Amino acid sequence: MAKNTVLKIDDLHAKVGDKPILKGLSLEVKAGEVHAIMGPNGSGKSTMSYVLAGRDGYEVTGGSVSYLGKDLLAMAPEERAREGVFLAFQYPVEIPGVSNKYFLKAAYNACAKHRGEPELDAGPFLKFVKEKAKMVEMDPAFLNRSVNEGFSGGEKKRNEILQMAVLEPKLALLDETDSGLDIDALKIVSNGINKLRCPERAVVLVTHYQRLLDYIVPDFVHVLSGGRIVKSGGKELALQLEKEGYGWIDAEKAAA
Amino acid sequence: MSAPAALETEFRSLRAAAGEPAWLSEARESSFAAFAAQGLPTSKTEGWRHTPAERLIKPDFRPAGKPAARGGFGGRALCPITFHRVVVHNGRVLPGGEGSNLSGLPAGVRVQGLAEVLRDEPEALKHSLTRGFDKSGLPFAALAAALARDGVVVRVARHARLDKPLSVLLVSDDAGDGLPQAAHLRVLLLLDEGAAAEVVVESVGGGRAPFWTNLLTQVSLGEGAALKHYRLQRESAAGRQTAATLVEAGRCARYESHAFDFGGALTRTDLRVRLAGDGADCALSGLALVRGDEIVDHHTVVEHAAVGGTTRQLYKAVLDEKSRFVFDGLVDVRPGAQKTDASVYNKNLLLSEDASVHTNPEFKILADDVSCKHGGAIGQMSPESLFYLRSRGVGEAEARRMLVYAFGSEMIERVGLEPLREALTAALHARMPEAAEEAA
Repeated sequence: MAKNTVLKIDDLHAKVGDKPILKGLSLEVKAGEVHAIMGPNGSGKSTMSYVLAGRDGYEVTGGSVSYLGKDLLAMAPEERAREGVFLAFQYPVEIPGVSNKYFLKAAYNACAKHRGEPELDAGPFLKFVKEKAKMVEMDPAFLNRSVNEGFSGGEKKRNEILQMAVLEPKLALLDETDSGLDIDALKIVSNGINKLRCPERAVVLVTHYQRLLDYIVPDFVHVLSGGRIVKSGGKELALQLEKEGYGWIDAEKAAA
Repeated sequence: MSAPAALETEFRSLRAAAGEPAWLSEARESSFAAFAAQGLPTSKTEGWRHTPAERLIKPDFRPAGKPAARGGFGGRALCPITFHRVVVHNGRVLPGGEGSNLSGLPAGVRVQGLAEVLRDEPEALKHSLTRGFDKSGLPFAALAAALARDGVVVRVARHARLDKPLSVLLVSDDAGDGLPQAAHLRVLLLLDEGAAAEVVVESVGGGRAPFWTNLLTQVSLGEGAALKHYRLQRESAAGRQTAATLVEAGRCARYESHAFDFGGALTRTDLRVRLAGDGADCALSGLALVRGDEIVDHHTVVEHAAVGGTTRQLYKAVLDEKSRFVFDGLVDVRPGAQKTDASVYNKNLLLSEDASVHTNPEFKILADDVSCKHGGAIGQMSPESLFYLRSRGVGEAEARRMLVYAFGSEMIERVGLEPLREALTAALHARMPEAAEEAA
């Protein structure tokens, strides 16, 4: 049976303020696949993540994004989330005064309601979320703390993966999830992501470094440069980038 | 300056009618003179520049009359009915059975209506009512001292404790004719050495016509006494309140104040605390949810007059639509008040471009070995936080509500009384800003 296309980005152009950042980005991701998007700083990696999640301030000037056959760009950020799109933030936001537990329950129930599934009360939800916390090796005490407030870099990233585990998205976008992590934290976070790999779920890893890909082995690697994908390949492409840097891509591009 | 004619007439008729002791008459006369010397504040009066009292408070509001209906107070109050309770309806203390419930007060604790005490044993209040206070900048407090016929007197004897909180419910409703009304009230909270009490003064407005409550509260705390003083403001849209609270704290006494402003056209609160004894301590907290054309104004002055006093002050406000919040917090450290430890903060969340905040946390320090910190902040809802919540599926209106709640909940969590904390949480949710509702 042919695999379902989850995400299809076609010739996407976007700008931030007056500055064009994405200049013809195209990408197709099918269910069960893990795609790594690599690229130098300023190539448009984070812009791509934010455009897909619907953040204000990013204006799409051309192209289209189809998610499970629907027009993703026409949806509000919360609608995208409810439909199963999840962005793990590079810099998770601290929200003093909102407990992690309350936040997760509000998010879970908003998504459940949208899908026509039963919402969970405090008791059953707590049981459910504690199981998920175990999976990302998070101390349940973090559930009672304010969202990300005073969390270390590693704890924040673990909290992102916990949210992903709770919301069970169909498309997970992980924006520089490895940045700022020491090796132990990187292993725990990668482990959590690997446990969430499944045939129904598509994963897009956005990363600057190859290091993360030692732990999460991708099916495809793409190089983003100047706002579009300039090279695609298998996992060996990441190793080549690690060895030779991004310079040869630019040279190839210049020659083309 | 002079007193407006309507108030002069009211004062004269009160003076003619009352068969009061001479010392009380004299105290009323001198208070009225202090009011007349200042007159009603205008936009040019120091301390009133941002608070248009003259537009909202008219001297010819006539003395509060009999409300059209009585009863059902339990359902209108945030305070649970399990507390001891005194109900003041349109300026009159109601007897037990008509709303007040004071059966089962512990030994050493007396709670009475002011009119009742003045009738039965006026001499008991001679000290409290003749002790002068600095009326400068407090014209309405002076007026209340001159005009108040009723109010509430709480006396807690040495080392006695109120076993459960006392709810003082100030209810205002339209009179039969629906004309604007005014009520001048006095509250005395007198705690002897080592005494302790929790008192919740809650204002609930029900009418459509303007109702002006002018409240003067005097608190006296003996050595080591502790008072938790809650003020819940839930006036009607036409409600106006001017409230002055004067606190005198003895050695190692502790005064804790929690002010919640959840409604009213104009709420002006003056809180003056004098830490008179060594090691006295005050914690002043406030949360205002202001919307429409409402104005909430908190003026606080804490005088550190002795060694080793502590002040912790934090007021927060959430403003929507065309509302206004004024905060003026002065800590005055007198010469010799060494080891003073004081902080004054005011934080504001603006939800509308038309709302305005005037904030002025300030210190005057005349001692050298002190720790004093202050700050004022005015911010808007963080777009990053809003996007983060929405990116997890939380709808925009709900996300805004969560962030407003998060901003305000810190003040509610400081409330030690659990049933009250729960009621306040529900009230905070119920009074979410219009901006959040509109986004739904």
